[in-house]
Amino acid sequence: MDYYVLSRYAYWKYYWLILYYRLQEFPPVVRVWAIFTTICLLLMVAIVLGNFFRVLNSAADNRTIDRYREKYLERMRRIALNHRTLELSDIASELRLPKNFKMRPRQQRRFVPILLGLYREYSEKMNKANWQRLLTVLKMPAYFDDQVRSRNMRKRIIAFKNVADMDANLKEAVASRYLFTKDRKLQNMARLHAARFGTSYPFKVLLDDPNLVFTDELVIKYHNVLLYRQRNGMSMPNLIHWCNRMPVNDELRIFAINEIRLFDRKEDCPEMLSMLKGSRDERFSCALIRALGEMKYVAAEEEFCRRYLSASFTERQELATALGNINSGSKDVLKFLEDDFMQTTDYVTRMLLLRTIHDYGTIGLKAYERLKKDAPAEFAIYFEHIECKLIDSRRYA
Amino acid sequence: MPEWVYDGFSYFVMAYSTIVLSSYVMFAFLAFLEHKKHNTYHDDDYTIEELKKSPYTPGISIVAPAYNEEKTVITNVLSLLSLDYPDFEVVIVNDGSKDHTLDLLIENFDLVKVPYAYVEKIKTKPFRGLYKTRSDNPAFKRLTVVDKVNGGTKADASNAGVNVVSNKFFICTDVDCVLEKNALYRMIWPTMASTRRVIAVSATMRMSNGSIVEDGKMVETRPPHDLIPLFQDLEYTRSFLIGKTALSRINAMQNVSGGFGMFDREVVIKAGGYDGDSFAEDMDMVARMIRYMCDSGEDYRVVQIPETCCWTEGPPNVKVLNRQRTRWGRGLFQFFTVHRDMLFNKNYRQYGMFTLPYILCFELLAPLIEFLGYLMVLSLLVQWAINWNTIWIAFLGLYVFAQLLTVTIISYDVWVGTSFKHRRDYLWFVLASLLEPFIYHPMNVYFSLRGYVKQILGTQMVWGNMTRKGVQSAKKPAAPTSVAEAKKAEKDA
Repeated sequence: MDYYVLSRYAYWKYYWLILYYRLQEFPPVVRVWAIFTTICLLLMVAIVLGNFFRVLNSAADNRTIDRYREKYLERMRRIALNHRTLELSDIASELRLPKNFKMRPRQQRRFVPILLGLYREYSEKMNKANWQRLLTVLKMPAYFDDQVRSRNMRKRIIAFKNVADMDANLKEAVASRYLFTKDRKLQNMARLHAARFGTSYPFKVLLDDPNLVFTDELVIKYHNVLLYRQRNGMSMPNLIHWCNRMPVNDELRIFAINEIRLFDRKEDCPEMLSMLKGSRDERFSCALIRALGEMKYVAAEEEFCRRYLSASFTERQELATALGNINSGSKDVLKFLEDDFMQTTDYVTRMLLLRTIHDYGTIGLKAYERLKKDAPAEFAIYFEHIECKLIDSRRYA
Repeated sequence: MPEWVYDGFSYFVMAYSTIVLSSYVMFAFLAFLEHKKHNTYHDDDYTIEELKKSPYTPGISIVAPAYNEEKTVITNVLSLLSLDYPDFEVVIVNDGSKDHTLDLLIENFDLVKVPYAYVEKIKTKPFRGLYKTRSDNPAFKRLTVVDKVNGGTKADASNAGVNVVSNKFFICTDVDCVLEKNALYRMIWPTMASTRRVIAVSATMRMSNGSIVEDGKMVETRPPHDLIPLFQDLEYTRSFLIGKTALSRINAMQNVSGGFGMFDREVVIKAGGYDGDSFAEDMDMVARMIRYMCDSGEDYRVVQIPETCCWTEGPPNVKVLNRQRTRWGRGLFQFFTVHRDMLFNKNYRQYGMFTLPYILCFELLAPLIEFLGYLMVLSLLVQWAINWNTIWIAFLGLYVFAQLLTVTIISYDVWVGTSFKHRRDYLWFVLASLLEPFIYHPMNVYFSLRGYVKQILGTQMVWGNMTRKGVQSAKKPAAPTSVAEAKKAEKDA
């Protein structure tokens, strides 16, 4: 008897033909269910096999990374922490890469987690020049250029993130092509990169974009960028000018004011005060009030008091806290706070006013005692609340 | 019975199951897109690092009601206090416990009653007092215990917690839940990354039965080895990784679990908080929050994150499961009577036009249709008029489809970062999936129908206590059981 070896395709064809002819005698509903079951089975097998190979590949990859780590981590650490700036050739010989070792993207990808770990741990102590040269020897800048230029969206974003995380270099021409891309995440990563490493107008794109959506995530990231620039002695933006530029996003203006507060730029206070005088936007005003209060700008007190009576409850709460922060010891301000404590109808504002009066130095404490004596009986709990040291001071908002 | 009844029902079931299966395929695809997006844009370590050092990181409050939890309360509160996040507080609401829950808390955390100016933003049963620690331990400083008169429901206790939280966002959880150490970072991130206002965030919850917990912290995650919790683990994973993730993608989430979910405090208060009369208080509150946002013309998002952030102990036996599912069934029925005006109402966007109709057709009515199906098959069996060729292939098709869904959720779980130590643990899921259509599914149909009947008849329902077997412990919990021990632990720290 002759046996024929059929191709894989022929087997499939045979299976479907059997299914087709066998099912001829059955009603359509049975045929539909049979085909549905077959498709489900095929999909199931595909998913199981796909997962199996993915797990195998990632395990093999992890093993290789561990091998690299074992072999090169200590040498890299020595290079990065060396106080003497080394030449490229010295670094290459110190690393002792095998002669036939070709720096292909696959190998470079495996170096990335090792380098990231190293930078995260020793970034404060390391010799930055040696670190950059180490990256050059490993051809990391070229690797990141390639990832950003010609890989998929996920790899581009990860490459931008890695560049920022290990302080690597990326050609400005490569990064700048995504400054206005449609994908917001990639656009943000490219803009953050420009802001972090750029030398000429690094924040220009941010300020000029009328469609900018400035989320809290970006607030955190741009704050880190500003910290990085300050730490590395790079030029800092003139934040107060961000608020005057048009068209600037409201969120960005608030961010700029908050950054002025966090970087404690007292020289911007007069301009902020004049901005407050003309401000009608509640959130922007609140940011200005908070900043002026925390920077203890005494000249703002008068404007705070003037503004208070026409302000919303949210703004009043900011004003009360800011007056407490300035704590100039002014009797007029204290009188003003006392009067409003008796008049206000809002619970949170009343508690904040009471806290401010209580913390307003010796004269504040005296006024507080006076208020306590004169206040109606139902206010007693407020006073006890304020006096209790165990209660978190913000636990009434 | 006339033949046209059988024919009509058969065609109806065929059409119904085709729509159900198509919707599952669509959900699995949407979930795939969401997981892909999450994997592309989200990096846990990076997020944690950014949030840890930023002055802009918002604070989070954790509200956990406790009623007669003296056996576990100390370990669980210590577990909550040991979470990793720069700015958080833990608010335990003692809902008039009859045991020593409050005494134990006072003794172990060195608590003292403080004169707190309580404002009832949401109406609750009377507030009795607020306790803060005298201890210098910075972790204990984060603890606030609210004591109130028993309201008979978790909703009332949660509302009392919401009245005292001081942060913009709060997480509502159960005191027996074990939270992932980085859960708070994961929960807050969607609110920061979204361009729209995020009013609620839900995370994947799993069963803790079978896992090893030490000092209230998850040491090793394992699937439950008892059938009932195992079935539930599979059901939860399927629901979170496929159903809710898909609905989150189209901003049509129906529910944020009462066991673990994060909410915007301002919206919750404006929406009136949890409804103590509702048997599905979590779903009801999300509906009211969405109603508030839509009525005031504001844009919103309800987000599901795929990572596992919380483990809860599921009903260990059929009796407790019966009680839980009957309540859920009753809650679902009650929900539709309360919120029927949102159904097919375009003012409520995706929620009114897609989510509610979907739940009505494929969750509320499904047990009823299935029960009718069983009756039909039984009736045909009596007459010996069953077309076996059709019935076995249809059953096989559905059975294989169920297995395909299980394989899909396993691969999604591996993709988003499995919590199981060994991949072989997934074989338990496969086992559960093979048995589920014969054991668990018919039980759930019965329990749901029982709930509907009870709701229609208006039977008085008592919130039974969940009988807990407790999770496996690697060693005896090191929770201090007295002030002296707490002080010693403090000193060591």
